[in-house]
Amino acid sequence: MPTIDVEYRELERLLGLNLNSNMEKLDEILANVKGEVKLFNEQEGILSIEMKDTNRPDLWSAEGLTRGLRCYLGLEKGPRRYFAEKTAVEVNVDSKLFNIRPFIACAVVKGVQLTDPVIRGLMHLQDKLDKTSGRNRQKTSIGIYNFHLITPPIKYCAVNPCDVSFIPLGFSEKMSLDEILELHPKGIEYGHIVKKNPLYPMLFDSEGKILSFPPIINSNDLGKITEESRNLLVEVTGTQNRTVVNTLNLVTAALIDRGGKAYSATINYQDASGDIKMDVLTPDFSNRTMPLSVEYTNRILGLNLSAKEICKLLLTAGLGICKVDNCCVEVEVPFYRIDVMHQVDLIEDVAVAYGYNNIDCIWREMPTTGKAKPAQQSINIARELMVGLGYQEILTYTLTNEENMFTKMNAEPSPHVELSNPKVATMTCLRSWLLPSLMEFLSNNQSVEFPQKIFELGKVTLPDESAETRTRDEEWVCAATTHANANFTEAKSALDAFFRNLGVELQIMETAHPSFIEGRVGKARVGDVDVGFVGEVNPLVLEAWKLENPIAAFEVNLQKILLGKTK
Amino acid sequence: MVELRTQESQLLSALQEVGGAATVEQLIEKTGMQDSAVMRIGLTLQEKTLIAIHAKHQNVVKLTAEGEVYAKSGLPERKLIRAVADLGGSADLKKATERAGIEPQFIQIALGWAIRKKWALYTSSDNTLRIAESFLHQAFIPDGADEKLFVLLAEKNQIGFEQLKDDDLKEAAGQLKKRKILLIEPKTSRSLQITPEGKAAVAEAKPKVQEITQLTPELIITGKWHTSKLQKYNIAAPVAKTWLGKKHPYLQFLDEVCTKLVQLGFQEMTGTAIETSFFNFDALFVPQDHPAREESDIYYAKDPAFGDISQHAEAVEHVRETHENGWTTGSTGWGYKYSLLNAQRLILRGHGTCLSARTLEAKKFQVPSKHFSIARVYRPELIDRTHLSEFNQVEGIIVDENLTLKDLLGVLGKFAIEIAGADEVRFKPDYFPFTEPSVELSAYREGYGWVEFGGSGIFRPEVTLPLGVKEPVIAWGLGVDRLFMMRAGLEDIRMIFSQDLDWLRRKEVT
Repeated sequence: MPTIDVEYRELERLLGLNLNSNMEKLDEILANVKGEVKLFNEQEGILSIEMKDTNRPDLWSAEGLTRGLRCYLGLEKGPRRYFAEKTAVEVNVDSKLFNIRPFIACAVVKGVQLTDPVIRGLMHLQDKLDKTSGRNRQKTSIGIYNFHLITPPIKYCAVNPCDVSFIPLGFSEKMSLDEILELHPKGIEYGHIVKKNPLYPMLFDSEGKILSFPPIINSNDLGKITEESRNLLVEVTGTQNRTVVNTLNLVTAALIDRGGKAYSATINYQDASGDIKMDVLTPDFSNRTMPLSVEYTNRILGLNLSAKEICKLLLTAGLGICKVDNCCVEVEVPFYRIDVMHQVDLIEDVAVAYGYNNIDCIWREMPTTGKAKPAQQSINIARELMVGLGYQEILTYTLTNEENMFTKMNAEPSPHVELSNPKVATMTCLRSWLLPSLMEFLSNNQSVEFPQKIFELGKVTLPDESAETRTRDEEWVCAATTHANANFTEAKSALDAFFRNLGVELQIMETAHPSFIEGRVGKARVGDVDVGFVGEVNPLVLEAWKLENPIAAFEVNLQKILLGKTK
Repeated sequence: MVELRTQESQLLSALQEVGGAATVEQLIEKTGMQDSAVMRIGLTLQEKTLIAIHAKHQNVVKLTAEGEVYAKSGLPERKLIRAVADLGGSADLKKATERAGIEPQFIQIALGWAIRKKWALYTSSDNTLRIAESFLHQAFIPDGADEKLFVLLAEKNQIGFEQLKDDDLKEAAGQLKKRKILLIEPKTSRSLQITPEGKAAVAEAKPKVQEITQLTPELIITGKWHTSKLQKYNIAAPVAKTWLGKKHPYLQFLDEVCTKLVQLGFQEMTGTAIETSFFNFDALFVPQDHPAREESDIYYAKDPAFGDISQHAEAVEHVRETHENGWTTGSTGWGYKYSLLNAQRLILRGHGTCLSARTLEAKKFQVPSKHFSIARVYRPELIDRTHLSEFNQVEGIIVDENLTLKDLLGVLGKFAIEIAGADEVRFKPDYFPFTEPSVELSAYREGYGWVEFGGSGIFRPEVTLPLGVKEPVIAWGLGVDRLFMMRAGLEDIRMIFSQDLDWLRRKEVT
């Protein structure tokens, strides 16, 4: 979920409404666009707003947010109109970029009053778009330049890293492209995007001046925006044309909302011989149309709205109407509403405009039979028995690490499922047995009154080639007792009672297990199936966990026990 | 008549027998009771006005640890002079001290005092020590006042300074104090005196029945308890804590939720912690390059890394087309090239919705149908008071013809009342990639305030149609962790997986 920062005074000004810093009122308004005030820094006048919809980048600037809200407030109706005048600015795209970063979109915006809040807002929008819909600049990245320093046509091409050097934004020395990737903070952060290819994308003007090294960094000469800048060139490069153009549209529209006048650019995609194989005009402010069925709308909402009523609600939601008849509304979807993929997206807007809290709730009784999972009953019984034996139930994480599961247990590593991207060193894999979780718990309770008796009924995960997910989960019960006189007999006696009350005949067979004392550990067997083990924990293990009292424990597979029972 | 316990009457009688007044020490000697017992019983008797206790402050003389050694072996000068006598009344200092067994650091002390007490003469020119003329022909040198004091102290352990009869002894005490052989310290000594009421009580005292604390099998079998008295207990006294076995409070709460949902006609779905990206994301119309699928947002399994989705070939194909171009769902689709490999990538499920997707795809149900799951889910979050890296989600689906947003709101309202015990509910637009419209539910409960309790929506056609489901499907999820924390009065979400045994032991069962 993106969180956007907007200046409160800017928001009020663009909204054309005085809210007297009433956050509750603002929250109520923001709910229409799924926004929520997270923080209001009154000293700096900055509002942090969480936007739940990850698919509505049109709302991620003060301009866009107020554009969306003004309709719901009845201050505007339907889509805003945006225009870009045609100019002679051309961008020639090198065919060698095809497998690198093939797409670009450009616009020129003149006469913007770039006050400090406007610049900061623009940077913030650029950053949000780069991070979210731009997938951390992988899919799209935005560059903004002082247009008066640039001589079109612009050349977007793939270069050999050794051939080019320039002064990157925020630096004073010329650097080669490889130096930028190694030394510039943005190079370090985003270098991996270009490093995959031998050639790097570059933007030049017709005089060979460098605009930027997309998606890494602008040139310090042309790409530094200040309050003195009046005419801007906005450019978006990326891997998917639709997103590239949409992103340019959003940034350009925000600048138009700030009083700028937009001019389009022609993008010439060249083939290997330099001939133009396709030309595109950007930005693209043309709106789509989408038919909305009146019947479908009412079927989903459970309402009985007429086509006319639907139209009214659509306008409140900032959508346009092209044509209406009794059964269908031809909806004009503004270019900035990239989230609209299906009629249901329009129907939700109708519902929001209608007001969720104005819709009746229905609870229909249905002829369905409720049922807990098949294992639930045996889980309940097992827990009852353990509680009856005086053991306290605990709940622990299934994420653990190999040190806890094997090293500290004096055990050889056995098959288990590791994470490829652990976040912390203590959580690197899923547990394959429960006892380590109990040992950890006990080690955290050394100062609590003894005797301590605990149990957990929980899942373990094991690799299993035959399963769809190549793993299976099993339900195990593990219990541990610890006090000055805890021993094998006590644990076996509890295990014996547990089995007796389940009506399952338990056999204890000799076995060796490095986590337990030799000769004081047995495997639990039902029929001819091994179902677990019981024993007195090896003092080596106690030492590893810094435990000072003997521990006796058992761990058994609940499913296997019950399977044994039915046999 | 005053009721007296066995020990009370014993002490009172003893006091009467010694003449009506005695020190605590005398009574200890008389009764054989412990010091503390005499004082404790004495205080109760005083409360009953049967005796009076008088305190007297005085100085007492007491041996130090060093003094106790000397009390046994004799003062060093005594040992020295004994050795000289044994060596014939005159001896080399070195020989004499060796024979006396005096350690080097005490030689000067022993020599000094032997001379000072005029027991011996020392000539330094030949290092010779001679017993003084006056004692030379006596069998032994008589004990000095200090040594007499030793004898008294050895008998009594401590003596009141004023009780020392001779001035000699008093002077000796002062001297030995300087030698750090004894201490003179203030002490309060108490004496007990019987009152007229006490005398009357003793006179009235009848032969006592035996008082019993613990009733034993022996007393019952022999019938002795008939002639005994079972002592009254102080029933208000604190007792040792008993820790019993209990279910975990959070799991018990989940049990309750499960029972409610079963009562409302929902069937439980299950699955494994490891899931394919296909069911966790693709089937839910989450595009393959969505930020929620980045390594910072979902855990990936290392080995095994890829699962098997071949059994779902038809659904996979329809999902692929839906992502790429919308297929026949009426959607524009995401417009990118779908990767089958990406779909097979194994992850730790990030939500329980993958189970709903599996249920819909398996189609082993008759419409209408209601399902729920209580699933452990995983997110690569740093754990703090508001975040966990793994937690439980309760969610589910309802499949029926003609389900509408009204039903959705109705279901949420029902949950709010049945599960959260809400007095009032409120709905807000919400966002999930797989539902449209989407609703957030807030529930109000007296004493708890508003709490965001659930998220819900109608599955997008891009989700249901590729899985082969034509009917509308309501999908819902409940914020059970928050609800539990509210009920249990917790502010730190980590307490759900509390490692604190004491907290679990003390937590009341609700």
